[in-house]
Amino acid sequence: MLVEFELIERARSGDDGAFNQVIQAYRKRILGTIARLIGRPEDVEDVGQEVFLRLYYSLDQLRTAEVFEPWLYRLTVNAAYDYLRRQRRRQESRMSDLSEQQVVMADAAAGSKRNEEEERRTKVRELVQSLLGKISEEDRILLTLKEVEGLSLKELEKVYKVTENALKVRLFRARQRVLKAFEAEKSEE
Amino acid sequence: MDRMNDKLDALWAEYRDACPDPEPGSDFMPRLWQKIEARRIETTSIFRRLAKICVMATVALALWMGVVLIPHNQNDEAFYTGTYVDILAAEHSNDYVEVLPAGDFR
Repeated sequence: MLVEFELIERARSGDDGAFNQVIQAYRKRILGTIARLIGRPEDVEDVGQEVFLRLYYSLDQLRTAEVFEPWLYRLTVNAAYDYLRRQRRRQESRMSDLSEQQVVMADAAAGSKRNEEEERRTKVRELVQSLLGKISEEDRILLTLKEVEGLSLKELEKVYKVTENALKVRLFRARQRVLKAFEAEKSEE
Repeated sequence: MDRMNDKLDALWAEYRDACPDPEPGSDFMPRLWQKIEARRIETTSIFRRLAKICVMATVALALWMGVVLIPHNQNDEAFYTGTYVDILAAEHSNDYVEVLPAGDFR
C-alpha cells in the first residue's frame, strides 16, 4: 500500500483533501499501468483521469480500505478495456492516424538522430503492441497485468473476483495466443 | 517451444523497461477536479430537470382537468341546479288535482 488505511477511510467518508493525497500517491503508478495496457502515450492521462473520476464517485461503495488496491486496479482495467474497445471500433480511422504518425516519426527520425537505446526501446514497444493487438482486449489486459505489471495470481483473483484455477486457464490460453503471434512474427523476420 | 517461451518472458521484461511510468502533467490534478465538479453539476442538473418536468406535468394535468373535465361534468343532465323542494314540487305538480272535484266549492 502506498498510503495509510486511515487516509483511504477519510477519503471514503468524503474528505476531498484526503482523496487528493490518495491520487497523488497512486497517479504515477496507475498512469504507468495504463500506458502499458493501452500503448498510446497521448491518451494515457485521459484514461487515467477517467479512472480517478470513477474512483471518486464509487469510493463510498468500497467495503474496507484493505481492498483499495484491487478496487483501483479493477477500475483501471475497466477504463482501459472501455478505451481499447472504443479504439477497436475506430480501427479504420486509427489506421490512417497511424500512417500519419509513422510519417511524422520518420520525419523526426530523419531530422534528429535518435540514439540506439531509444530505437531499441521503440522497437520493443512496437513489437509488444503489435502482438497484443492480435489478441482480445480481455486477454491483452490480463496478460499485461500478470506478465508486465507483475501482479500475483492472488492479486489478480481479487481484481477479477474469479478463482485461481479459472485465472490459470485464462492466462494459459492468452499466453498461447500471444506465443502463436510471436512465432508468426519471428518467422516473418 | 520452450525457447519461444523464454524469449517471450524476456520480451515482457524489456517492454516493462521500455515503458517507464510517465510523469503526470502539471495540470493533471486541476483537470481532474474540474471533471469531478462538472460531473457533480451534471448530476444535480439532471435531478433539477426531472423535478421541473414533474412540476410541469402536474400543472398541465391540473389545467386539463380544469378546462376539459369539470365543464364536461357540469353539462351532465343528472346535475341539479334547483333545491330539493323545487325539484319535488316540479315532479309532483299534479298529485292533488283529483282530490278537489271541479266546481264544488260550497
